[in-house]
Amino acid sequence: MKRLLALLFFLPVVLCAQETITIRKGDTTSVALKTLGGADGAAATKVLQNDLDLSGLFSITPPERATYLIGGSASGGSLEGQVTDTRGSVVLRKTYSGGLRAAAHKFADDIVSTLTGQKGIASTKIAFVSSRTGTKEIYTADYDGANVKQITNDRTISVSPAISPDGNKLAYTGYQSGYADIYLIDLLTGARNRIIKFPGTNSGASFAPDGNRIACTLSKDGNPELYIVGISGGGARRLTRTKGVESSPTWSPDGSQIIYSSDDRGGPQLYRISAGGGSGELIPTGYSYCTEPSWSPDGQKLAFTVRSGGFSIAVKDLRSGATRILGAGEDPVFGANSRHLIYSSGSSLILLDTQTGRQVPIITGLGKVTEPTWSR
Amino acid sequence: MKKLLTLGLAVFVTVAFDSCKKKQGDQFAGIDGDYVSGTPLPDRIDGAGFFGNNVVRGQFPPVYFGYDSFTVSDAELMKLEQVASAMRSNGKTLIIAGFTDERGTEEYNRGLGERRALAVREALISMGMNGGRIQTVSFGEEMPADPGSGEAAWAKNRRAEFGVVK
Repeated sequence: MKRLLALLFFLPVVLCAQETITIRKGDTTSVALKTLGGADGAAATKVLQNDLDLSGLFSITPPERATYLIGGSASGGSLEGQVTDTRGSVVLRKTYSGGLRAAAHKFADDIVSTLTGQKGIASTKIAFVSSRTGTKEIYTADYDGANVKQITNDRTISVSPAISPDGNKLAYTGYQSGYADIYLIDLLTGARNRIIKFPGTNSGASFAPDGNRIACTLSKDGNPELYIVGISGGGARRLTRTKGVESSPTWSPDGSQIIYSSDDRGGPQLYRISAGGGSGELIPTGYSYCTEPSWSPDGQKLAFTVRSGGFSIAVKDLRSGATRILGAGEDPVFGANSRHLIYSSGSSLILLDTQTGRQVPIITGLGKVTEPTWSR
Repeated sequence: MKKLLTLGLAVFVTVAFDSCKKKQGDQFAGIDGDYVSGTPLPDRIDGAGFFGNNVVRGQFPPVYFGYDSFTVSDAELMKLEQVASAMRSNGKTLIIAGFTDERGTEEYNRGLGERRALAVREALISMGMNGGRIQTVSFGEEMPADPGSGEAAWAKNRRAEFGVVK
């Protein structure tokens, strides 16, 4: 008994030693969601409820305890949404089209921006690599894992996808020529072009925030270095000059700087360089193996993969300098709200709320799924 | 300026052989205090991919690497003498394919595989091979020689393989 008491006494201490995540009540807005009317009402409500839940910004409560009431109707691929406050005043009323799911996602994003002033992630798209067919191919999906589509069917190796900020273009590394080249797909028309095909290996495309330039790794000059190339493949400009390997560029929100991984001084570390050139400045993390950085759209955080035993997801606060580990996995990518990450756990893609620590698998059952990328 | 560049390149080529033995940074500082470059790659031969039908693979044994390293060890350099002497005067094009083990993140491994292929290429150039006849490609952690996990498999997968274009 005494032992049990001692254990109980120590248990909270042990728990406290873990990463503590405090959720204050004031962090969420309480909303009541009335099932939408119309032929598609129930289905649209399900999508909307999931969006509001995943956002981490709301608690869904009975109407009498809610600050806002959400309702409306959905049919024939369009949705009429309405949000009222407790006095019955309308704070949002709008009609959305483009199909049941798309309309529900747009309504969810408008609820987020109207009630919290933040940017929603509900209408975003992701792309990733799956080995489901036996070879690695590129797939796209909605951020919640719905609408999975196989984009490439090259039966070679198709990897390292990058989705453009507006979600309409996709760059990836393909081996159809026998070498690694960068291809660009217009997701609206399906048109595909091999845009970067220098001698050696061309890989790791990352769209600039303006969507018009790509940063990537090219080895044409005799060493894997970072370059910036126009999205039609012209005007390659070299950024780095080291004897090591530079990879995985990620852009600052204003497009003026790039953070990347380089093993120039031993194990791979993160560096920051001006998009105009110059020399890379080391970003200290406390870990000896740091790869695949993703810069948050608000510019304040950096997510990356660290190796310490296995592979883990780390987030560094660029203002305070503090780095924390959020769980096991690889290839984190920040969403438009700078709060959620999507990363690979090997057999699934996980949506992680960095504020609450909540992890939701969004892609499962597609074999090994890796290298997620996320539109903004 | 041109002279300085040539000098820089000459210095690089002389030390390139050494660089394969030791992964060490600052001694290779180039004209701007940075690493100048490797030897630029020649244009590709269209239709001649490493795993293609018109490329002979397995004529030379693979070169193996340590974990997370692109250094060609002294023992592995011996293998390259054989490649260089066979290839120096036959006029054919060599494709070096770099690979990594399954550990590490994918894109970093693609870069590391390419760096391994390029380290082998520089060593062959220093042995008198014409760099204009050596292409490189990286498969990163794809196409492992041994699909298993564990150090025995990993050691076989950290490699550079040779293909001779017919």
